[in-house]
Amino acid sequence: MVFSSLFFLYVFLPVCLIFYYLCRTINQKNVVLVISSLVFYAWGEPVWVCLLIVSAFVNWLASGFISSLGGEKKKKLVAAAAIIFDLGLLIVFKYSGFIVENINAVTGLGIPVPNIVMPIGISFFTFQAISYVMDCLWGTVEPQKNYFKFLLYLSLFPQLVAGPIVRYSVIDKEISDRKIKAVDISEGAKRVILGIAKKVIIANNLYAVVEQFFGTDITNLSFFGTWYTVILYSLYVYFDFSGYSDIAIGLGRMFGFHFNENFNYPFICKTISEFWQRWHISLSSFFRDYLFYVPIFGKPRKYFNLFLVWFCTGMWHGASWNFIFWGLYFGIFIFIETKIGKKRLKKWNKVWTHIYSKIIIVIGFGIFYFTDLGQLGRFFMNISGISMLTNGNALWDVLTRDSLLNNLFLIIFAIIVSMPVLQKVKYFFYKWGNNKVYAVGQIGGTLICCALLILSSILLVDNTNNPFLYFRF
Amino acid sequence: MDNKDVEFKRKKGLNNMSRKGVEHGFAVISLMITVPVFIAIAILMIVLPRPEKSEIEKRKLAQMPEFTFDSYISGEYTSGVTEYYDDTVPYRDNLKNVGYSFKSLFGIHTEDEVKVIGKPSVVKPLNDDKDKSGESSAPSKDENSKLESQQESESSTENSKPEESKTESSQESQKESSKEEEVTVENGIIVVKSNGHYRALELFGGGSGSTYAKALNNFHKDLGDSVKIYSLIAPLASEYYTPDSYSDFNASQKDSIESIESKLDKDIVSVDITDVLGEHKDEEIYFRTDHHWTPLGAYYAAQTFAKAAGLDFKELDTYKKNDMEGFVGTMYGFTGDANLNKDSEVFSYYTPDNIDKCMTYYYTTDFKYTGKGKFFNGVGDVRSAYLTFMGGDEQVVKVKTNVKNGKKLLIVKDSYGNAIPGYLFGSYEEIYVVDMRYFKLNLVDFAKQCKITDMLFAMVSYSAVGDNADNLENLRTQAKGKKIVDGGLKDED
Repeated sequence: MVFSSLFFLYVFLPVCLIFYYLCRTINQKNVVLVISSLVFYAWGEPVWVCLLIVSAFVNWLASGFISSLGGEKKKKLVAAAAIIFDLGLLIVFKYSGFIVENINAVTGLGIPVPNIVMPIGISFFTFQAISYVMDCLWGTVEPQKNYFKFLLYLSLFPQLVAGPIVRYSVIDKEISDRKIKAVDISEGAKRVILGIAKKVIIANNLYAVVEQFFGTDITNLSFFGTWYTVILYSLYVYFDFSGYSDIAIGLGRMFGFHFNENFNYPFICKTISEFWQRWHISLSSFFRDYLFYVPIFGKPRKYFNLFLVWFCTGMWHGASWNFIFWGLYFGIFIFIETKIGKKRLKKWNKVWTHIYSKIIIVIGFGIFYFTDLGQLGRFFMNISGISMLTNGNALWDVLTRDSLLNNLFLIIFAIIVSMPVLQKVKYFFYKWGNNKVYAVGQIGGTLICCALLILSSILLVDNTNNPFLYFRF
Repeated sequence: MDNKDVEFKRKKGLNNMSRKGVEHGFAVISLMITVPVFIAIAILMIVLPRPEKSEIEKRKLAQMPEFTFDSYISGEYTSGVTEYYDDTVPYRDNLKNVGYSFKSLFGIHTEDEVKVIGKPSVVKPLNDDKDKSGESSAPSKDENSKLESQQESESSTENSKPEESKTESSQESQKESSKEEEVTVENGIIVVKSNGHYRALELFGGGSGSTYAKALNNFHKDLGDSVKIYSLIAPLASEYYTPDSYSDFNASQKDSIESIESKLDKDIVSVDITDVLGEHKDEEIYFRTDHHWTPLGAYYAAQTFAKAAGLDFKELDTYKKNDMEGFVGTMYGFTGDANLNKDSEVFSYYTPDNIDKCMTYYYTTDFKYTGKGKFFNGVGDVRSAYLTFMGGDEQVVKVKTNVKNGKKLLIVKDSYGNAIPGYLFGSYEEIYVVDMRYFKLNLVDFAKQCKITDMLFAMVSYSAVGDNADNLENLRTQAKGKKIVDGGLKDED
């Protein structure tokens, strides 16, 4: 089920919330949440919901063994077995086609390529399971004794299909003991509405422009046309994915859970390292904690691990070479930044670091977009201006001009909202902090949210099919 | 969002009441506003009647799927329920209008603004040799195709999609013939503002129309000299109204039409209307908000045909002009451009003076008689004004006029051709109209058994050059050897 659908908003969610709030005890609430989550998942994956349940069972069992078995070696073996199981699921469902295709390409063996449809969200819940098993092994969390509660952690529908990758430690206590206050419901609801609005009002309309230019052969696309589109695509990915995260975090809060933030205004970063501290935080911190600092093949090797992390980050996004290039591309810049050193980077002129980081990020999203390597090659020719010399491409074109004019306010609005402007507005209201101003801020904010809900719902009428980008990962 | 600093600032400012108390109080107020709005929308979505079709999009909306074990396991059932709920929102068309109006706020509006929909590519001049080898001049084969196939099934909201109406054998032969020439005539849509009015134009990707020409030549071979064949291809409006700045994205339809002419047997008469319409381009010969030409445009085409065929033809002032105001056509639905909706036009059509002396008989697409009717029908909704002519495409129509000259015309057409027959009621004794996309019988058998004397292929360049042309060969080869029985004869006076 997609969050940005009228069916979810006005059928599934209200039914779920009514049952949830009618329940008195936390156990009853948990039952409602697990059933809702399984229904939510089975709505899109009527068969693979079993996989989710089995995966939860295997990882839960492993954590039980880890806590009960004596001896580090045995614990490690159990953890390794669970992780092999988790990664095995990913390899079978996500990468088997890609692996066979590449083996065929290299060896010419002609092995039949398996046509396995990837269950939605497998990348996310598998990573949650891995983080849980590792935390149990390291003793940073108490293993959950109750399978049902663990299933709740893994299947919790707000974050099930597209993150954030919630660590068990974050909601460990809240699974058994949480109080839902009016503030949680109110703030959670506002966050959900903001997320929907980001997706429906901004992301979907930016994507329409992106598709117009990149959705076809880009051989003749002009220099500025390429830059224009890839900038809009970067904004689109941000609004699509951060919008989804807002909805997930907001829904979680409405149910009394407090998930960690997944985005922190990534485009205000000055370096690529900083970008990744602000972008898809739950994923980058996962790789940092469970791969980068983990000794592999003996002792930690800083630079080997760095590139391994970025290879995996890319690979995680999809079974396609462009994603691997995308990960390694960022790896290279982070490697360079590490070599230069944080202190020296800080001394650099802010304007230049902003320009540098934005150019690298935006080109990175070009790599992210083009799964077709031929198109990706043409993208590089266009964005570098080489195709102006080799193919006679124009500096700019009339389509770009008119598209910019037709979407100017949308683009300006999107850029403003991608900056911490909303935060600044909140400051303004709180700065003068008396109760009247606070009241204006609160009620004004609520009314704006209602308007955004109505507007988003209207726009959803025209968007029968608008899945989130991160559903495919 | 990181609210720590914000909370700190607020804490400093709130001296009189406890922080938590104030927060709680406003949260409750906030919920008292948000929850009723949310519940109201949810309830309205359930209690209000759900539409079954969209007038703007000219299509039937999704239906509630039937539950079966298999459909559940495959995920079809659940996705079907979601689709039904999301697709049949109460007041869907009105809400879409609001949504489109909102989207028009995204940009700057100038006196000569152009809005682009779809994915136009730069087109190359027509090169017949290259085209035959399977390469097309415009590369896009994408959402535009969806738009266009939707467009061609537009003619009647009651109709099923063209694909559904094809027989299996015709689908197979279509696959074969489409291999010969890959054509991508669609090249996006632009909405241009000119002289204070908005006009939507389908850009033309180009193509040589080999399939069309080949099919007509085969018809000529099968029918021999007993039937005179005419080919009339109407350009899309983009031939005349595309701004210079977009000429790179719009292939010459004149070139494509001339390319077809050059491939036709010499006994087939090409009725070249491209220049004729060009001379009248300052008149309203194409709708601005619809993908069709106007009945006036069709008049000039019919006049050119009559001249080529040596027919009696009446001047326009002998016709009765009928006006329907507030017409907004299909292009609004295709483009979602609110400006088109606000810039409606007048739908004017012309009825001949002998209309009362002509009888119109309706048949199904496999020529089963369904009854007498009018050729010019009243339409309930002005947005469907183009259905005035025979109520749409999915049927066969026969008109028996008061002319006694023994001439029988068979018009093989797409929806552009619907506007032509009304101008020929004084030229032929009988006129048969079949749609090239829906007709299910063998057209050669049909023409022979109905004793047709003239056969007019009348369609827009999009159909003649694009995939629709594949159907022509199907019409010639499908369902051969069946006896054609005219069930309508019993109703004739």
